[in-house]
Amino acid sequence: MYHREGEKRLAAGLLGLCMLAGLWLPGEKVHAEYIHTNRDTLPPGPAMEMREESLEEYELLYETEGAVYYFREDRDIIAVLDRESGYLWKTGLDAPVAKKLRAKAMGASTEEEFKELENTPVEDNMNEIYTDMANSLVTVEYRPPETLDTPKKTSSASSGSESTLRKLEENRFCLDIDFKEIDLQMKVYITFGEKKIQYHIPHQEITGEGVKCMTNLYLTPFLGANGGQLLRFNRDSGDYDIVERKDAPPGYAFVPDGSGALIRFQDNNAIFRQYTGDVYGSDISQWEYYNTVMTDAVPLKDPVMPVFGVALGKDQAAFVAYADEGAEYMSIICTPEENTTYYTWTCPQFTYNVRYHQVFNKAGDGYFQMMEEPNVFDVSMTYEFLSGDGSGSTEAANYVGMALTYRKHLTEQGILKERTENESLEAVSADIPIRLDFLMSDAESGVVGLENVVMTTAEDVRSILTDVMDSGIQNINSGLQGWQKKGVTFSGPGTRKYSSAIGSGSDFEKLMEDFSEKGVDISFQQDYVTINKTMMSYFDNAVKHVNSWYSYVDKSNLLPPTAPVTQFGYARPERSVQWLEEQYEHAKGTALSMTIDGIGSILTGDYADSGHVTVDGARALFQEQLASMEEVKKNIKNPGMYLWQYTDRYLQAPVGHSQFIFETDAVPFLQLVLNGTMEVYAPYANFSFYTQTDILKMIDYNLCPAFILTREPSWRLADTASADLYSTEYGLYQDLIQEVYSQVNAALGQVKGYRWVDRQVARDGVIVNVYEKDGIVKRIIINYTDDPVTVEGAQTPPKSALVTDAVGTP
Amino acid sequence: MKKIKRLLAVISVMLCLTEPILAQASQATSYTYTHDDKMNSVRTQDAYLPQQTITNLGLNGAEDMFIDKQNRMYIADTGNLRIVKYDISRGTFLEEFSHPEFQSPKGIFVTGDGTIYVADSKAKAVFVFDQDWKLVRKLERPRVPAFGDTPFDPAKVAADGRGNIYIVGEGVYGGVIQMSEEGEFQGFFAVNKTELSAIQKLQTVFFTREQLGRLLNRNPVTFANVTLDDRGIVYTVTLGKRNDPIKKHKTNGSNMFAATVYGFEDINDIWVDENLLIYTASKRGYVDVYTAEGELLFEFGSYVSNLDVAGLYNALSTLAVDQKGYIWTIDGIKGYLQSYAPTVYAEKVYEALGYYNSGHYEEALRTWDEVLSMNQMSVAAHDGIGKAYMSRYDFENAMEHFRVAGNHGLYSEAFWEIRNLWLQKYLVYFFAAAVLLYLAIVITERVDRERKLRRLKDRWKKRIMNTRGLGDVLYGFTTARHPVNGYYEIRVGRKGSLPGAGILYLLTFGAFMLYMLGKGFIYQYYDIQELDIGSIVIGFFAFTSLFVICNYLATSINDGEGTLKGVALATAYGAVPLMVSLFAITVLSYCVTANEAFFLDVLLWGGGAWTVVLIFLGLQTIHNYSGKEMVKSLLITALFIFVVIVVILVVTIMCEQVMKFLTTIGKELVRNVSS
Repeated sequence: MYHREGEKRLAAGLLGLCMLAGLWLPGEKVHAEYIHTNRDTLPPGPAMEMREESLEEYELLYETEGAVYYFREDRDIIAVLDRESGYLWKTGLDAPVAKKLRAKAMGASTEEEFKELENTPVEDNMNEIYTDMANSLVTVEYRPPETLDTPKKTSSASSGSESTLRKLEENRFCLDIDFKEIDLQMKVYITFGEKKIQYHIPHQEITGEGVKCMTNLYLTPFLGANGGQLLRFNRDSGDYDIVERKDAPPGYAFVPDGSGALIRFQDNNAIFRQYTGDVYGSDISQWEYYNTVMTDAVPLKDPVMPVFGVALGKDQAAFVAYADEGAEYMSIICTPEENTTYYTWTCPQFTYNVRYHQVFNKAGDGYFQMMEEPNVFDVSMTYEFLSGDGSGSTEAANYVGMALTYRKHLTEQGILKERTENESLEAVSADIPIRLDFLMSDAESGVVGLENVVMTTAEDVRSILTDVMDSGIQNINSGLQGWQKKGVTFSGPGTRKYSSAIGSGSDFEKLMEDFSEKGVDISFQQDYVTINKTMMSYFDNAVKHVNSWYSYVDKSNLLPPTAPVTQFGYARPERSVQWLEEQYEHAKGTALSMTIDGIGSILTGDYADSGHVTVDGARALFQEQLASMEEVKKNIKNPGMYLWQYTDRYLQAPVGHSQFIFETDAVPFLQLVLNGTMEVYAPYANFSFYTQTDILKMIDYNLCPAFILTREPSWRLADTASADLYSTEYGLYQDLIQEVYSQVNAALGQVKGYRWVDRQVARDGVIVNVYEKDGIVKRIIINYTDDPVTVEGAQTPPKSALVTDAVGTP
Repeated sequence: MKKIKRLLAVISVMLCLTEPILAQASQATSYTYTHDDKMNSVRTQDAYLPQQTITNLGLNGAEDMFIDKQNRMYIADTGNLRIVKYDISRGTFLEEFSHPEFQSPKGIFVTGDGTIYVADSKAKAVFVFDQDWKLVRKLERPRVPAFGDTPFDPAKVAADGRGNIYIVGEGVYGGVIQMSEEGEFQGFFAVNKTELSAIQKLQTVFFTREQLGRLLNRNPVTFANVTLDDRGIVYTVTLGKRNDPIKKHKTNGSNMFAATVYGFEDINDIWVDENLLIYTASKRGYVDVYTAEGELLFEFGSYVSNLDVAGLYNALSTLAVDQKGYIWTIDGIKGYLQSYAPTVYAEKVYEALGYYNSGHYEEALRTWDEVLSMNQMSVAAHDGIGKAYMSRYDFENAMEHFRVAGNHGLYSEAFWEIRNLWLQKYLVYFFAAAVLLYLAIVITERVDRERKLRRLKDRWKKRIMNTRGLGDVLYGFTTARHPVNGYYEIRVGRKGSLPGAGILYLLTFGAFMLYMLGKGFIYQYYDIQELDIGSIVIGFFAFTSLFVICNYLATSINDGEGTLKGVALATAYGAVPLMVSLFAITVLSYCVTANEAFFLDVLLWGGGAWTVVLIFLGLQTIHNYSGKEMVKSLLITALFIFVVIVVILVVTIMCEQVMKFLTTIGKELVRNVSS
């Protein structure tokens, strides 16, 4: 051993101290005012002033106690008057086409005509196509075969389209749209609820030649659009050249980037690119290229749920929108102000067809073309309108209210189920659980073939867990990675080949049996999607791209040059399910749970020779398999919403967002949705998630701590594909595990079994989370700043969390 | 170097930012890298996190920035012909300044007394302002003969406040222009030498002056930027150089860095903080942090062309570090100001370095241990701990850490100390053992007057040598000592055998592999993972077989008497000295330090030369050639080998092409039929 045991203990102690002391090293750092970043949540913005808007051109469609629904025929706009807040939502911008008015201005000569022009401003930076899009209920993007490079747009309210609204039932209508420009017809079924609108676009009713060239469909793209700049008519110049900034209400758009991101509406001075969040990640088999290379940039976080929203003012008006059908083909886009238009607009985009690179030789030569068979799916979107601070008929008109509304919807759908104390996985303990994963082994190149690098044996797991339990942590669950011969990178996902150097089958059985008696759930972890050519032949096992080549990703930029493998393919969904079934057959007798990697976060179609499996086909396969695995609990790594129904432990939950510059706040939307329905675990604290701020974030986001451990020092992994696990040795982490757990448990342990009902920002850097159970309200005050703060009479020391009790309504 | 590979990957392929990977917290938007013991880029804990992104300054092609001791930032906003002053502590815009003569202000530097230097390439001047923006002086093209016809288009500037101004001029190959406060040309400070490729060197030998004059790219690479540390030491960065793009200059201009400093070819800015840490920016979006000795500590950032993510760049144009240690950068295309805050990990590394540099070795050791806890693969931490142990005279522990850090030099020094102690302790016993052995021999010879023991020994030797197999192998030692007679015996078939030769080939290969992979750490620079074992095995035996076969073929048409077997045997037996020297070097490498490499070199070259001579003599004997005939046959053999290799290559490439062609047709057929 390179390191003496005593020193290691000392180092571990010092590590804990230094990580927790963090910013308080005496003499090392000057304390400064708390500076927030976009990884934090900012205090709420100002209130908005309500304005009366004219509904002259609108006809009444339907009304309920909560809302009144109107329609403007010529521009295809639905207006929703929220009776409670008084705010009028419009699905479109309701703006005239500048080109037509300019033409009119050219011929204006009378005072009356001039006055009319002066009273009708036009939108700045909006050509006819964009104005039509901004007004319309539906916009379609298409690529004509002759110009594959430049997609075009046509909208339901364009002059080249015809649309008619038909009443089907009292609250149910159908908008028949004929996009004549490309010979495309579709029907949009609209159902009005108490304070919600549902849109349904069945695929079988999309007809015409245009189906072949339609790439994307945007639904109500400018609902909640904010900002805008007008041009007023100048009688002197005879043109629209008087610039006037629109008086836009304060607010933000919520997008499910990572755990959740807010994009506050602001007047940007720079042109930002659009945010596009591919729900569940985009379909690998339909990527533009079949092979990709990962770079040094941290990958963007894919949305794990098809939901977004817009909130205005200070808890005044908001809507939350979610998809019940078509989510696999959905992207959530948010275009910040000054990108083409002066509006920030957020909407769903559904992908029917893509342009891809058809390769015809190994050198990669090829050409671009569209898919011959477009994606087949129905669209079903629901928009729920929220108002007030949550004391009224709806949840609060902010991101917390959106999360609670979405959670309620998923609960009604049976996707989420609130666990009672008795159903809870951790019912045996009053403490919160901790996740301790173990990397058992990986492989490096040897003289002949691969050589196993054993990092932890079954016996090591036993001794480490015993040690952790002896130190007072009882509620533990654990996943074993690389438990097979050839280790975590090269062992076949469906096989069971034990290595005596790691542990025999009976060793593991005994280990799981012994610890399950103590309430510790140890499970085998396996990635059922990521494969490589050393592990198995790609033939009949790997996903094929639509261009008929095997899809793969090159990770050589992220792995050491000595790593035995750098290219990774993706298993066909059918294979993943088959391997999962095989492992389940073994596990159900011995293990309490199974830890499943891959299928939760990678959802891909497959253009196999035997037939095309679509992404929704793959989703259905996964769901069916998981539903049949009733005898074990399922621990799933970062699962998309499609697997939440079957998830007992949510591992590696995202914290924060992708950090687009225009994303102003990070919020725990995902955690608010999932709270109380499953155990949710933080990313491994080993890797850049160990400071005091990170511990506070676990408390703030209601996350249970997680570590990945080995017995051996991690530099032994330097020549393996696990080289990025650069710090895992248990000897160095035992004190930190204690410290992190005791802090998180001290706070979250007190609200175990409580419902998380609100999250407020008391001031910059100070969060107040409100939990409620049977009329008992508890608040956790999280102080991220370097100063003590007093909130509602309770003083919270710097960089710490405090739980306060209160009786009454939150 | 992997860094280059990464850069190329970014250039040549689409970005993959959607791939699910190991779910780590990743609060950074790019991974942080450092160097491992082999100078490969490897991942480490996040060193810096994106902090603030300021997008409302309206910057347009800003090319340089400077942060003074009062935490005020000066930005050369080149496209807007102005200097922007920004208060970092308060987060407020202070003022902007423009001078009517500004045409392209690309460089800015502020001295301790508040004097502001602005380099403007199009105005062909360096403007010197006082802190109230009053123009104090305008430095223009020197008129002295020594400046010659060198262009004067100042792009970057630095001044030490003691009368020396350093100017990087566009298209100046002579070096950094050094001027006095009064604008007098002091000379060219620090010159980049022209680095010629092998072909260019050949051209230099054979081409005429006119031909050389017509060739392009023979000028030295030009400096990209210049800065000064608090002690007035000049640092430069150079575009277009993979090795040593960063230089720390002595007063005579030469480079102070002993070892090669690796950096990006598009490096364009440099900053040195009060702790002498060096920060550099490369246009493709990478920020690198080096120790005062030029060792890479951290590298982060990345290039991205179609996203607005904090900490990823379209074009990173400049960087500076504020008084809190935050790094500030500017994306020249987007006009964003981006700051990074150091993480606890980076702060610990800096703290440990600070302790060590100030001679607080105990504290350094403790702090490095903390760093190591966060990243067990940290070469810097292992190296730092090793050095701290060295200063405590704990050489054993120092060696362990230097081994992990891959520091062969200091490992050797620590080993020397340990060996020295060992020798002092045990040398006397060695001498005693040698004396006893000598006495034993003398006494035995005296006592054994009838030489019974010697005869017994000779009998055993003869018996062994006559044993089939073992004797054949050991015969290699006879041929090594008596090549002419030895090979003659082989030629007439009395000695040597194919199994013996086969074993010798295997032993030689074994010795070679042991030499490649089994040396002591001081001399062992490869790991098994870095070698393509398959290729080495195939290469060794394929080349040996090729030599044997080609030599046989070449000699059979030139009256050579040797058979194929004879050639194989001659080659195998000739390899014995090389094999022995390789074994010996491997063993000795555990005993000698880096300073004693000479002994191993002598062994290697001696063994190699002896083998070459033996094979020459052996083949000559086998073929019954004169020396001249032998040389001729070897040349023909070499030609044969060359031809065979070319043929094999051509056939392989042709087969590949045919296969590719057939595969493509097959795929097309399958696609068309199936669709």
